Amino acid sequence: MTDATFDAPAVTAGATLGKGLRSLMPALLLALGLIVFWELVIRLFNVPTFVLPAPSAIFTALVKHWKPLLIAAKATSLEVLFGFVLSAIVGILVALVIVRFERFGRALYPLIVLFQNVPKVALAPIFILWFGYDLAPKILLIVVIAFFPVAIDMLAGLQSVEPSFVSLMRSVGASKGKIMLRVRIPHSLPHLMAGLKVAITFSVIGAIVGEFAGANQGLGYVIQFASTQLDTPLIFAALIVVSVLGLAFYYVVELAEYLLVPWAPKFDPIHSAG
Amino acid sequence: MNVRVMTAAARSAMSVPDAASARAHIAVRGLSVDFTVEGRRQRVLNDIDIAVPKGSFVSLIGPSGCGKSTLLKVMAGLVSPTEGTVTVAGVSPHEAVKARLIGLVFQEATLLPWKNALENAAFLLMTADETVKRADAFERAAAMLKLVDLDGAEKKRPNQLSGGMRQRVAIARALALDPEVLLMDEPFGALDAITREEMSECLLDIWERTHKTIVLVTHSIDEAVFLSREVHVMGTGPARIIETLPITLPHPRTDESYSAPGFAAAEGRLRSLLIESHKKGRR
Repeated sequence: MTDATFDAPAVTAGATLGKGLRSLMPALLLALGLIVFWELVIRLFNVPTFVLPAPSAIFTALVKHWKPLLIAAKATSLEVLFGFVLSAIVGILVALVIVRFERFGRALYPLIVLFQNVPKVALAPIFILWFGYDLAPKILLIVVIAFFPVAIDMLAGLQSVEPSFVSLMRSVGASKGKIMLRVRIPHSLPHLMAGLKVAITFSVIGAIVGEFAGANQGLGYVIQFASTQLDTPLIFAALIVVSVLGLAFYYVVELAEYLLVPWAPKFDPIHSAG
Repeated sequence: MNVRVMTAAARSAMSVPDAASARAHIAVRGLSVDFTVEGRRQRVLNDIDIAVPKGSFVSLIGPSGCGKSTLLKVMAGLVSPTEGTVTVAGVSPHEAVKARLIGLVFQEATLLPWKNALENAAFLLMTADETVKRADAFERAAAMLKLVDLDGAEKKRPNQLSGGMRQRVAIARALALDPEVLLMDEPFGALDAITREEMSECLLDIWERTHKTIVLVTHSIDEAVFLSREVHVMGTGPARIIETLPITLPHPRTDESYSAPGFAAAEGRLRSLLIESHKKGRR
């Protein structure tokens, strides 16, 4: 036995975290620089606050309105959460149905792609008309926006199984269902997680758009309300909360990926391009 | 495990094939296979006759596209014959699959990336037999990993194993089924020269210990001569067997077999047959 063995480097969670923080340093420094530059420009040229508030003014608004912002964030989070989970379920089911019932899938797939070309933002007023100002129209809007990347990535995963895997399973008399359950579905999980990461960002967008179209709570509602009052610092403060919320949701999905599919290929956007 | 082997033997006793193929463990008679590619029927195998004796090691060698992989797939029940018959242990490949008489190994190890070596080696057995206990399947898989010199690597995932080691797991996975027949499609084709030779020796060792009937599809003349008792040389246009060459090198074969007098002669004969069939294929 002289075959070389490639041991994966033993990386502890703590070391990963430390390394992660260190790799974030350049981004943090750049952000800090931009904020300082922004503040200076506003002060030097006396830009009116309602046009573009200085970072300090935004921060003040954030502190002053923390309570309504928090309540709004909670409402939006709920929409994102329900919408995302439902998108995931619908997306997975669509992919499974297309693969399992091939003929029906061939009929369904073009329709889904066609539906993707409908500008979903334009659907928001219709959903409001049908379901009122509650949670339901927002969730529905999120689902029509976010199920697509889930379905497409899951489908790609289910169909990218090497033919030799299928031959191997057939050589021991495994049924189609068994091949699906034991090989295709687990094989598709890394693809599914990639789709879910896109879906979670789409879900946040969907929630805000839904709130724009008609709502009495949520961060989108706060932004609209603040704009009618020309309270630009509050708009920016709400935008910051939306961004942080989106980031937090994204990393929850990434954490789930890390825990559920540790064999997924790691993606490094900067180095993989080189 | 033994019960299954007995039913297979009983089945083969019940069917009454002719005398020659009764002795053959794998009997291919007048086999032709047509594929329909983009609406056009194409003959990929034409009138093939092969008889593989029980416990023998047989290689199929030939230029790319000569249908040797298809022939193997017919034996494995993955492709249906258009004409002619194929029997494995006296029954159709389809029934042989049901009776778990067939183990398959491909050029790619095709291991499941989310399972470690042991789980991969036990995977097909657990798929084939729902009643087998997890512990029993793992025990059998561990024994097979030991047979392919992989004890100690049970907990490693495929991405932590080298190409040769992955292929060893694939062989262990096939052996864990305790098949009567091992069908291998260029199993060492993706490995470097030294690893190939190591794997050849490992395979020969397994064959000598288990006496499985092995059919190997290969591109390598060396490999075919070193491992086989019989080499079927295939030609193209349409694919058929152009010659069957017995390899008379004594067993057990070792490193020194490569320099034995019979080796070079067999190698030379195979090479000229292959060159000839290549030329014909181009015409």
